[in-house]
Amino acid sequence: MAKGSPPAKTDVLQGTLDLMVLSTLEGLGPLHGYGIARRIEQISDAALRLNEGTVYTSLMRLQHRGWISATWGTSENNRKARYYAITPSGRRQLTAETKNWERIAGVIARLLRTVQQP
Amino acid sequence: MKTVSRLRAFFARLRFVPARRRLLDEMSNELDSHLELLTDRYVRSGMDPDDARLAARRQLGNTTRVREDIYTMNSIEWLGAVAHDLRYACRVLAKSPGFSGAAIATLALGIGATTAIFSVVYSVLFKPLPYTEPEQIYAAEIVVPERREQFPSLPASVQAYLTWRDARSDFSDMATLRPWECNLTGDVEPERVGGARVSANLFSFLGVSLASGRGFAADEEQPGNERVVVISDALWRRRYGADSTLVGRSISINGESHQVIGIAAPSVLVPTGTLLHPLVPFASRVDIWKPIAPTNRELKSESWDHGVLVRLATGGNLEAGRQQLEGIVNEMVRVQMPNLKTAVIVQLVPIREIYAGKVRLRLFMLLGASALLLLTACASLANLLLARVATRANEFATRLALGAGRARIVSLMVAEAAVVTVIGGTIGVALATYGASGLAAYGPEDVRLLATTRLNLPMLAFAIAASFVTALACSLYPAWRASRYDMAAALQEGGRTSFGGGRAGRSRRVLVGVEIALATALLASAGLLLHSFINVMQADRGYQIEDVLVADISLFGERYAKAPSRVEFYRELVSNVRALPGVLAAGTISDLPAVASSIGASRTILHPTDRIFQQVVLMRPVAMIRSVTSGYFAASGTALKAGRFLTDDEPEPVAVISESLARRLWPEESSASIVGRQFRQSNTDSPLVTVAGVVADARPGGMDREPLPVVYRPYDQWTSGPMALVVRTAHDSAALAPAVRSTIRAMDPNLPILAMRTMREIVSSTVGERQFQVMLTSVFAVLALLLGAVGLYGVVSYSVACSTRDIGLRMALGALRADVIRWVFSHGMRPVLVGLFAGLVGAVAVAIALRSLLFEVAPTDPLALGLVSLVLLLTSGLACYLPARRAARVDPVVALRS
Repeated sequence: MAKGSPPAKTDVLQGTLDLMVLSTLEGLGPLHGYGIARRIEQISDAALRLNEGTVYTSLMRLQHRGWISATWGTSENNRKARYYAITPSGRRQLTAETKNWERIAGVIARLLRTVQQP
Repeated sequence: MKTVSRLRAFFARLRFVPARRRLLDEMSNELDSHLELLTDRYVRSGMDPDDARLAARRQLGNTTRVREDIYTMNSIEWLGAVAHDLRYACRVLAKSPGFSGAAIATLALGIGATTAIFSVVYSVLFKPLPYTEPEQIYAAEIVVPERREQFPSLPASVQAYLTWRDARSDFSDMATLRPWECNLTGDVEPERVGGARVSANLFSFLGVSLASGRGFAADEEQPGNERVVVISDALWRRRYGADSTLVGRSISINGESHQVIGIAAPSVLVPTGTLLHPLVPFASRVDIWKPIAPTNRELKSESWDHGVLVRLATGGNLEAGRQQLEGIVNEMVRVQMPNLKTAVIVQLVPIREIYAGKVRLRLFMLLGASALLLLTACASLANLLLARVATRANEFATRLALGAGRARIVSLMVAEAAVVTVIGGTIGVALATYGASGLAAYGPEDVRLLATTRLNLPMLAFAIAASFVTALACSLYPAWRASRYDMAAALQEGGRTSFGGGRAGRSRRVLVGVEIALATALLASAGLLLHSFINVMQADRGYQIEDVLVADISLFGERYAKAPSRVEFYRELVSNVRALPGVLAAGTISDLPAVASSIGASRTILHPTDRIFQQVVLMRPVAMIRSVTSGYFAASGTALKAGRFLTDDEPEPVAVISESLARRLWPEESSASIVGRQFRQSNTDSPLVTVAGVVADARPGGMDREPLPVVYRPYDQWTSGPMALVVRTAHDSAALAPAVRSTIRAMDPNLPILAMRTMREIVSSTVGERQFQVMLTSVFAVLALLLGAVGLYGVVSYSVACSTRDIGLRMALGALRADVIRWVFSHGMRPVLVGLFAGLVGAVAVAIALRSLLFEVAPTDPLALGLVSLVLLLTSGLACYLPARRAARVDPVVALRS
C-alpha cells in the first residue's frame, strides 16, 4: 500500500484525505483531481496544507476499493481529464465513516476538555 | 472473515494489475495537467510565470513519489516474481530439449493413458445406467442343479414369465424379451436386421422414452394385435432417411405388413448379443421391437428362451422376491412333469452385471495396467529430475552464494515443475480424448455399448495433480539439498561427484529399479496374455479357419412357406456355388459353431430303451440340433472320426453326432462301435434316429466355452430357419464373395444377404475382447519399457558425465576401455536385475489372480517370462551401453585437465 507523504509537509492524515475526497465528490458531483484539490482548499480556508499530488494517490486507492469510479471528460483548459464520481458503495462508506469520525471527534473533544480542566 | 476480505482486496487489486502501466501514464498526464492549471492560476493572480511554476510545483508536492505509490498500488510484487520465474523456467527447459521432451512425454503418457482408461472404466462399471432406478432391475435366470455343468443357468419360458408376472410378489414390474430376426423388404434393398420380441411394457419398465410415436399398448400382446413395431433411431435414419411421416405407416417385415408406431430415442440401451443370457442370443444391434403375442401352441411348448427382467418394488425384499419366483416356477414344473424330481433355483442378476459382468475383470486389469504406467511415468519423471542434481547443485550453490533466498529457489523449482506439468498435462488431455474415443469406438461390444468419450474430470485432475506433486517433490529435493550445502565446498567441487555416489545417486538407482520392476510386471502380463491369445488363435476348433467363406441367408415369405421349397432352394444354391471356379466344397448349416450367439435349437437326447421321459430327462445330455446339407462337413473341414458323412438323399432318419455327445450317450464305447446305434430326440415316442457318423467337436471361435454336444441332421429331415452358406475355396476366399453374392441374387433378388465374411473374420470377431486386452496391455508394457529404458539411460549417462574426471584418472592409471565399460555396466545393470526379479515375481502373482484370462498358459509360463526377461535385459543393456561407450572414449588428458 502507499506509504504516507513525506512527514515534513504532511498535515493531513491518509484516511482523512480519503474521507475528504469522498465527501467532496458526494457534495459536488463528478470532479477531476484539480477540482477536488480546489474544493478542499476552499473548504479548509487554507488551514490545511495539502500536498495536492497525494489527492491522486487517494483517488487510486478509492478506485481500488470501488468507492469511486472514473470517466473521461474535458477539463476547463480543454484537456482530456478524468472525472471521478462517487459510487453507491462509496456513499455507504462515507455515511459510515462520517458517523465514525463524529463519534471519535466527540470522544477526543471530551477527552481534551477533561485534560484542560484539572 | 479476515481472510475473505483480504482475498477480496487481492482480487480487487488484481483487476488493476494488467492496466498498471496505462493507469500510471494517465495519472502522470493528470498530474501534468494539474500543474498547468495551478501555474495558470498563479499567473492570473499576477505572479511571474517562473515563480508561478515553482509555487505550483511546491503545492503539488513530490509527484515522483505519487507516481511510485500508484504503480506499487497497482502491482502485486510476487506475481511479477512468478511471471519472471515462469519465463526463466521456460528458458531453462528450452535449453535442454532432450530432458524437457522426455519429461513432458512421460507426463503426457501417464496422464493420457490413465485418464482415458479410467474414463472408460467409469462409464462401463460405475456410471448409473440410463434407466429409472437401475439398481432395482435384475435379470431372472433359472438354474437346474442337474444341468449346471452343461448350462450354468437357463432363461425362462414364456409361461414362467406370465405366471411370475401375474402372481403377487416383491417385484413391482416385469418385462420379457427374446431375439427376433427381421428381413426388411419392400421400399429399398432387402435387408436383415436384428430385432426383439418384447413384452408391451418394456420401454416403460426400463424408463426409456421414445423419440416419437408411442410405446406398445397392453392389448397388443394379444395374438392378432401384434403387428406393430417400434424401430431404432439409427434404422429410421439409415433406411428411411429420417422420414417424419414414417410413424403410422406400414413396413414389410418377414413378408408381413407391420405398422410403425414409434421411434426409439437414439440413446436407448437394450441388451444385445448374448449379454442378457448366453442362450438368448440377440443380434449385435437391435433395431426393431415387436410385442410378444404367445399363441396357445406357444404357451404349451417347452421353450426356455425368454430373457426376463424384474424390478424390485421400493421397500421390497430381494431374497423374499427370489424365493417367491422360485416357488412359482417349481410349482409349474411339478404340475407339468409330476415325475421330475428336481428343485430348480432362481437367481437374480443385477442389470449392471448383464452389461459389465463379463468385462469387469478385464477392465480392472487394464485399469491396473494404466495405474502402473502412471506410477512408472512418475518414477521416470522423478528420475529425470533427480538426474539433474549434479548440474543443478552447482547452480543452486551459486545462487545461494550470490544471496538468493531459499524461497526464491523454491519458487524457481515450482515454476519449472508447473511448466512441465502444464505442457505435459495439455498433451495428456489430448491423448486421453483420442484414447477414450478410440476405446469407445473399437473396444469389444460390451465396452462399446456403455462407453462414453467424455473424459472423467476428477481422474484427470488426479493424474495431473499426481504428476505435479511428483515433479515438484523431485525438483525441490535437489533444491533443498543445495540449500543445506556447504556452499564453498559445492562450488569448489565444481559439480564433481564420484561415480553414482551420494544420496541422490542412490535414490535414482532405487527409482530405476522400481521402474524396471513395473515395466517387467507389465511386459510379463502382456507376454502371458499374448501367449494365451496365440494359443486361442492356433487352437484346434474342429473346423478350418483359413480359405472359408460364410454367407448368412434366410428364406421368408410365401415362396418358401413350405419346407420342401426351402430344401429345394438350398440344394440348388449349393450346387450352383459348387460350380463356381475356385470353389472346393460348399454346404449349409443352421448355426455356425464358431459364433457364440448362435446356439439354436436344443433337445434332450434319449436312449431307445428309455420309457418315461420325465424319469430320465435330467440324466440324459441336451444336444444342439443343427441341420446341414451334405457338403457342410467338407466345406467346413470338420474331421470324421467314424462312420460316414450325410448325403443329400437319406431315406431313413439319420444323424451325425459330435464326439462329446457320443461320449455322454455311450461312455464305454469306441467311436467306431457307436456308428449304427440309435437315439431319440426329447420324446419317448419320437422316431428313432440312426447314427451315421461321429465327427470332431466344434468349439466356439473364442474357445471360451466347452464344446456343446451336437446332433447334425440332414436339412430335409430337420428343416430349421435361416442357414449359413459355408464355402471352401482354393485361394483367397474373400475374393469369391462377389461371385457367391450374384449367384444368390440370380436365384432370388429379394433375399437379404448379411455381409459375407471369411471364417477367419468370424473367429477374430469372437476373440475381440481378448484381442483388445492384449493390444492395450502390450501398448502399456512397451510404453513402460521405454520409460524404464529412458530412465536408466538418463541415470547412467549422468553418472558417466559426472565422473568423467574419475574415469580419466582410472584410464591414466592404466584401466582399459573394456574395464571402463564393464565398470559402467556393473553399476547400471545392478538395479535392473533387482527390478527384473521383483517384476517377474509381481507378474506371476498378478497372473495367478487373473488366471481366468489366460488360455492354456501357466502363470509361470517359461516362454513368455523368458522372452520378456530377454527383451528387458537387451533394452537395458542398450540403455547402459550407449553411455558406457561414451565413457570408454574419454581422453584421460582432456578429462583430467577440464
